[in-house]
Amino acid sequence: MLTSSSPVPRPEIIHPSLWLASQLARGGARGVSSGFEALDAELPERGWPPGVLIELLLPQEGVGELRLLRPVLARAPATARRPPQAGRIALLQAPHQVNAPGWAHMGVEASRLLQLQADHAADACWAAEQVLRADSCQALLMWQPRLRKGDHDLLRRLHVAAQAGQTLFFMLRPLSCAREPSPAPLRLTLKSARDGLEIGFLKRRGPLREQSLFLPLLPSPNLQRHVTPVDRRTPATAAAGSLPSELAG
Amino acid sequence: MVFERDRVSALTAPARALGVHEGMRRGGVQLLAPQAHLNERDILREQTTLQQAALALLQYTPQVTLAEEACILLEVGASLRLFGGIRALCRKIRVTIARMGLSATLSCAVTATGAWLLARYGYVRTLSHRSLQRRLDRLPVVLLTAARAHLEWLHGLGCRQLGQVQRLPRAGLQRRCGKDLLAMLDRAYGAAPEVHDWIVAPPTFQARVELPDRIEHTDILAAYAQGLLAQLAGWLTARQLAIKKLRLWLEHERGRQAVAPTELQVALSVPAWQEDHLHTLVKEKLARSSLPAPAIALGLAADELESQQAASEMLFPEPGGSAEDHQRLLELLVARLGADKVQQAAPRADHRPEVANRWCSVMQSPASLPASLTTDAARLPPRPLWLLAEPLPLRMQQHKPFYRSALEFTSPPERIEAGWWEGRPLTRDYFTARDASHAYYWIFRQWRGGEWSDEEPQWFLHGLFG
Repeated sequence: MLTSSSPVPRPEIIHPSLWLASQLARGGARGVSSGFEALDAELPERGWPPGVLIELLLPQEGVGELRLLRPVLARAPATARRPPQAGRIALLQAPHQVNAPGWAHMGVEASRLLQLQADHAADACWAAEQVLRADSCQALLMWQPRLRKGDHDLLRRLHVAAQAGQTLFFMLRPLSCAREPSPAPLRLTLKSARDGLEIGFLKRRGPLREQSLFLPLLPSPNLQRHVTPVDRRTPATAAAGSLPSELAG
Repeated sequence: MVFERDRVSALTAPARALGVHEGMRRGGVQLLAPQAHLNERDILREQTTLQQAALALLQYTPQVTLAEEACILLEVGASLRLFGGIRALCRKIRVTIARMGLSATLSCAVTATGAWLLARYGYVRTLSHRSLQRRLDRLPVVLLTAARAHLEWLHGLGCRQLGQVQRLPRAGLQRRCGKDLLAMLDRAYGAAPEVHDWIVAPPTFQARVELPDRIEHTDILAAYAQGLLAQLAGWLTARQLAIKKLRLWLEHERGRQAVAPTELQVALSVPAWQEDHLHTLVKEKLARSSLPAPAIALGLAADELESQQAASEMLFPEPGGSAEDHQRLLELLVARLGADKVQQAAPRADHRPEVANRWCSVMQSPASLPASLTTDAARLPPRPLWLLAEPLPLRMQQHKPFYRSALEFTSPPERIEAGWWEGRPLTRDYFTARDASHAYYWIFRQWRGGEWSDEEPQWFLHGLFG
């Protein structure tokens, strides 16, 4: 007999997209692995869900948000297409100039990058919508500063546009937006920590997780592959040497 | 209300409600409907409009011809499969006609003359020979232009419908009314073959539309441009061409305050012929441009053309969209944001970071740029993901560079010394540094008075590791 606390022990038997509030949604099973086992285990659908508005809330630029996305961005989808067309990444309203050699260093070839700058917030949202509708990019990264009141329909609109395709859509917003309502089904807060990143789960299709998840991440794994300095007594080599070797990739 | 030789020849429903009817004289109309707009019928303009509509309809079939009484005949037998059946095709044709700013009654039948008769009677779609016969039998004789001269005689005989005329003895009918009537009937019923002179698309394309008023709003202009683009699409399809560059011009008031026409160029990176795509581009272009004066006419010309490249369809379509889709997206983005705001990376092999990081517009083909040497990225020392447009000078605090908090070095220095061949020698020591909140930066040290002078070096922030 079924207990009142759990009327159906496994609701996914009824329909794959059903889940209990105490479970993580696993219905879609089409998540793109984030490249971090610990993070995948905490994300619904075992990875970044494509075709969904994903919000990453940052206290400031450069805390490690791109390091977090590195595995998923560096991995171009295996398709029969010619290389320049495979896995394009659109960067919309990037806060600084994108350094193509740096991205190449990260594993993203320069030919995959597309940089978009719009003068107005409305133009930026329009451009994001077009990119999502065309569904020809692997990922869209959009930097969205604080929205004015009444502009929240834009987020909903972008989320609907994202659902039409398979583009990974990350919206990077300031941490102060955490209190504002958002239609995004996945909202994470990022905070830099020593040699890594603290990920807080603000909203996800699954149970509430109070404590944040620590992911060990270095600014660039190439710190280790650095040209061996002549003077080995520099403090930097010590810091680099203390890294666990399995994080090098 | 439209007049022809001082008699009403066409009128709107509200005018009819006021008691106006066809054939009424001008005086009577002015008495009944004093506020009505009275226009003289312009046969020439009617003809041009029909020609334009026929040109636009070349999108759907190469066999288009004009028929009597403002009809356009299309032979669609070969187009049904391409456009997804007769219903889908009718829907598309209706959309095209509406975009031209016209309205039409659509009828389909297995014979062209039959379809022509049905269209003038009302919206009828017959697909089999038998249903066509049944429909035709019930049509009024008036619709048959060859029978107009003998209308009273036929009505006197009690023949009001085509079916009744069909039952009359043929020999007697031919003697009384001539060959034309019977020939037309035979063609309509499919008993005689039909011959048409199909419209041939002109060798060059240029279209122009007069606006009904002086218009300032670019949105409304875009709607009128749509009619022109529909013609362009028909012309391109008929001639198997794709457009690379199109020119739209807006004519302004002539006379004393004459203003030169405004010209808008829309350049496409990849030739296209799809009407919807061209329309979105033109719409964005119009929305971004400002008019010096209200426009009174709109023109469109095709400047650069190429032959159409058939798109290869894949057996299993990939989810990411085709390369053509991406090109279309890029053009759309360029049309609204501007060519300099949609950029692709074209990194250069140079040790100076600001020189190596080069971006160019997506409209430029990467092949046209000076060749960039591909250096093995993994062998280089760390490079940041963001580069500041201008290096930011940092102040020092307790002999450490300071940005938000004191920075702590996490890498050995990397010396970049280059640019002497351009007369701007540059000597910098780059470090990876970390601040108190564990964000990583790329900073460099520059010696002001040479490396061995006593002066303190100046520190700059140049990049961020995202």
